[in-house]
Amino acid sequence: MKTTLALSWRLLRGGGRRGMLGTWLTFGAVAISTALLLFAVSANFAFDARADRGAWRNPVPAQTGAVAIEAQRNDYVRDRQITVIDLAALPPEKAAAGVAPAGVAPAGVTPAGVAPAGVAPAGVAPAGVVPAPPGLPRFPAPGEVWLSPALAALAKELPADQLAGRYPKVAGQIGDEGLVHPNELVAVIGHRPDAAAMTAPRSDDWIVGSPPTKIASFAGVASEEAEAYQVLALIATVLMIVPLLVFGGAAARLTVARRDQRLASLRLIGATPGQVAGMTVAEAVIVALAGALTGAILYGVAVPLLSRIQIGGGVWYLSDLWPSPLVLAATLVAVPLLVGMSAVAGLRRVVVSPLGVAKRETPPGLRFFRVLALIAVLAAVPMLSRSTSVGVIAVVIGLAFLCINLVGPWVVALIGRITAGSARRPARLLAGRRLVDDPRSAWRTVSGVALTGFVAGFLGLLSPSAFSSDPGPAQLRVTVLSGSAQDAVTQAKERLSKAGVQATVKAEKKVVVAALGSTADAGVIDRARTALDGLTPGRTPTTESDDQRFGMQMLADVGAGTVVVLSVSFLVAIASSGITAASSVLDRRQTYALLRLAGTPLSVLDQARRAETLIPLTVMGGGAIAVGAFCAMPFMLGSVSVNGLITLAVCVGLGFGGVIGAGALSRPLLRAVTADPAPRPD
Amino acid sequence: MNEVLAGRALAKRFGQTVALGGVDIAVRAGEAVAIMGPSGSGKSTLLHCLAGIMKPDSGEVHLLGQRIDAMGERQRSALRRTRFGFVFQFGQLLPELPAEENVALPLMLGGVARLQAVRQAREWFGPLGLQGMETRRPGELSGGQAQRVAIARALVTKPAVVFADEPTGALDQNTGHDTMRLLVQATKHNDASLIVVTHDPNVAAACDRTVEVRDGHILALRGAHG
Repeated sequence: MKTTLALSWRLLRGGGRRGMLGTWLTFGAVAISTALLLFAVSANFAFDARADRGAWRNPVPAQTGAVAIEAQRNDYVRDRQITVIDLAALPPEKAAAGVAPAGVAPAGVTPAGVAPAGVAPAGVAPAGVVPAPPGLPRFPAPGEVWLSPALAALAKELPADQLAGRYPKVAGQIGDEGLVHPNELVAVIGHRPDAAAMTAPRSDDWIVGSPPTKIASFAGVASEEAEAYQVLALIATVLMIVPLLVFGGAAARLTVARRDQRLASLRLIGATPGQVAGMTVAEAVIVALAGALTGAILYGVAVPLLSRIQIGGGVWYLSDLWPSPLVLAATLVAVPLLVGMSAVAGLRRVVVSPLGVAKRETPPGLRFFRVLALIAVLAAVPMLSRSTSVGVIAVVIGLAFLCINLVGPWVVALIGRITAGSARRPARLLAGRRLVDDPRSAWRTVSGVALTGFVAGFLGLLSPSAFSSDPGPAQLRVTVLSGSAQDAVTQAKERLSKAGVQATVKAEKKVVVAALGSTADAGVIDRARTALDGLTPGRTPTTESDDQRFGMQMLADVGAGTVVVLSVSFLVAIASSGITAASSVLDRRQTYALLRLAGTPLSVLDQARRAETLIPLTVMGGGAIAVGAFCAMPFMLGSVSVNGLITLAVCVGLGFGGVIGAGALSRPLLRAVTADPAPRPD
Repeated sequence: MNEVLAGRALAKRFGQTVALGGVDIAVRAGEAVAIMGPSGSGKSTLLHCLAGIMKPDSGEVHLLGQRIDAMGERQRSALRRTRFGFVFQFGQLLPELPAEENVALPLMLGGVARLQAVRQAREWFGPLGLQGMETRRPGELSGGQAQRVAIARALVTKPAVVFADEPTGALDQNTGHDTMRLLVQATKHNDASLIVVTHDPNVAAACDRTVEVRDGHILALRGAHG
């Protein structure tokens, strides 16, 4: 073992400039992979943290020992949503009994929190019985309003009759632990338990919210919205992790590719397969560990930038994106381990048959079972639906993704045979033969981008324009209690007139509609909203686009997520393609140099390299897009959108451009290695 | 005098090291010339200058009366492809291509259609004792067979001059002898001249004349025309 390690270290250090180049490429690839892997994993924990922080606003009905009533509704300002939490403490005797319906507390009972801290007037729950909501120092007293810092800032910025008028008695600001994200607009309003806002039934004009619910504590559950984000994050992680693993594997094999001749020689002189494998693992793991550590530092440096990505209407707390020590440690162990395993897999041919590498025989053909595996997984896709459990969906999508990776070399070899068979020019002949000779290596060059095609195909279908972008007429609608519609219309007219807003107000069954005219801008709408605030207790007047805001937000976030996932995938894929192209030039430098020396134009060599990459990329990229789209079909939200198709087209353009660009970057290297007038084998 | 290739006062330095110190050499049509010398004597540099791979610092190289050392890289590259053939010690065959396509490649690079190029290439397999090897890949050929494929590839374009750098260096003595004999015969049969760089006196003996290079200068000329 000691000898193996010592020899590995010597091989690593003694690789010369070219050997070190391979090592540096591996190191860089592992560092990038680790940083992105940490991002992919941390994103899940970040969404979990958001879900946990927001859970207190999604009340769980108390079975016994209710201490307060909690309700949630949405208010709006400009184009943003305000989450309003209505809270009322229950009197101690009712709270203890846990039987009183909301709003039946006798008049005169003062809930907890009315009096200054430390003073407990008669009838008030003893300190500690009604817990303070997360982010608040105490339970809000009736009439008291607590605002999130972002809402407080906006209330100061906008004229009072547009926002601040709705939240007049501000007692303080909500702390971070009560907010989902730093930009969130939240208002916590204290009420008496018998206040109309806490007793009036809430109607069906609610898109998201919770009716008044008696609670025993603020230990709520994650909202459906938060759960939807968690599922999307998990899917995004699967979509990002597979290309990362492929990239890491390609990087590991890069080390092996640089060493296989030398290790085959060691086998020929009698080194045991164990010793060869040991040396390979040791070398790959040493480099991978250094790369993983650097990647972790890279991620740490990138966290402030990543935290600026807006999802769910806001940016991130830095602490959300920091991986826990356990996750960090697991990553730092897993990455070198995976790289080591990948290196061993890459060496299998050398270990099994050292002459296989030394003599460059015809490689064994790839088996058709790879295609069967993909077909089997795809056959399972139509059985999925939006109601299938997340775990099963993640596994099937992950398997489909992996099977494309499995089938890739087989298809590349097939394309190679067709290309070589039909080639009329030397460049295509060279490209075709090279694809047949080493389909795995050719696949490694394009696999990242082709697999990104899967992601693009998958997400392309998942981002339909399900909601109209037309904001609709400038009118506010609020449902009133039955029988009070005409009273509400009169009151609304008075309020709007007092606020100086011109509007036509009428009742449509139980809904009061205030049409603000075609010239009403966002300021007028917010003034009207503020004027109508509280017209019906516990309800918010909304516009048509307010009602669509949740869906629009979700779609915008799916769009943002798509951009993030595709950016990561492309970054990985193009880096992977560039590294593989460079290592391919280094591996074949002697052949290239001799061809060039015998008068082969550099352009022919370059054309061959390009064809060797672009032909499989076209076929496999197209195939992967089709498979991705097929996998997304059970989860489609509507018809395919123009945006989705544009995203796909941009991806195709970027993929080709990126791979051509990455290949072009290694052209100077090709020129350099072919400029050597006296090529000799190493 | 039917001089095909001539180098006049060729000089080349690598830093402080003088690789060629004003060498004159001429090769006639159909002539086989061996360039011998110890390692670092400048023999490979001489071959590279004559083949247009490298530009001399001073002096001139003429092919059939046309000066080639002053040509641009693109022209010299085309010249190497069409008028010269090359045989190296090893590594010159593309491992992915079957033998016949390795031989056909220079023709295809010259614009010959693939089918015709492969047909022309196959014609070389019989005379060189390679029947049945057409579709084998280099990894499936013996060292001697691979060198004969390389000879076919060097001659398939009907070059004026074939350059060989240690063509038997990786072969055993008998195979090396056979290969050298075939190389000389085939080049003469095709009216091409042959310039061979070698350490091996047996290889040199197969040529018409030997040029000995030491410290960048030609020491002696031996052989029929020497």
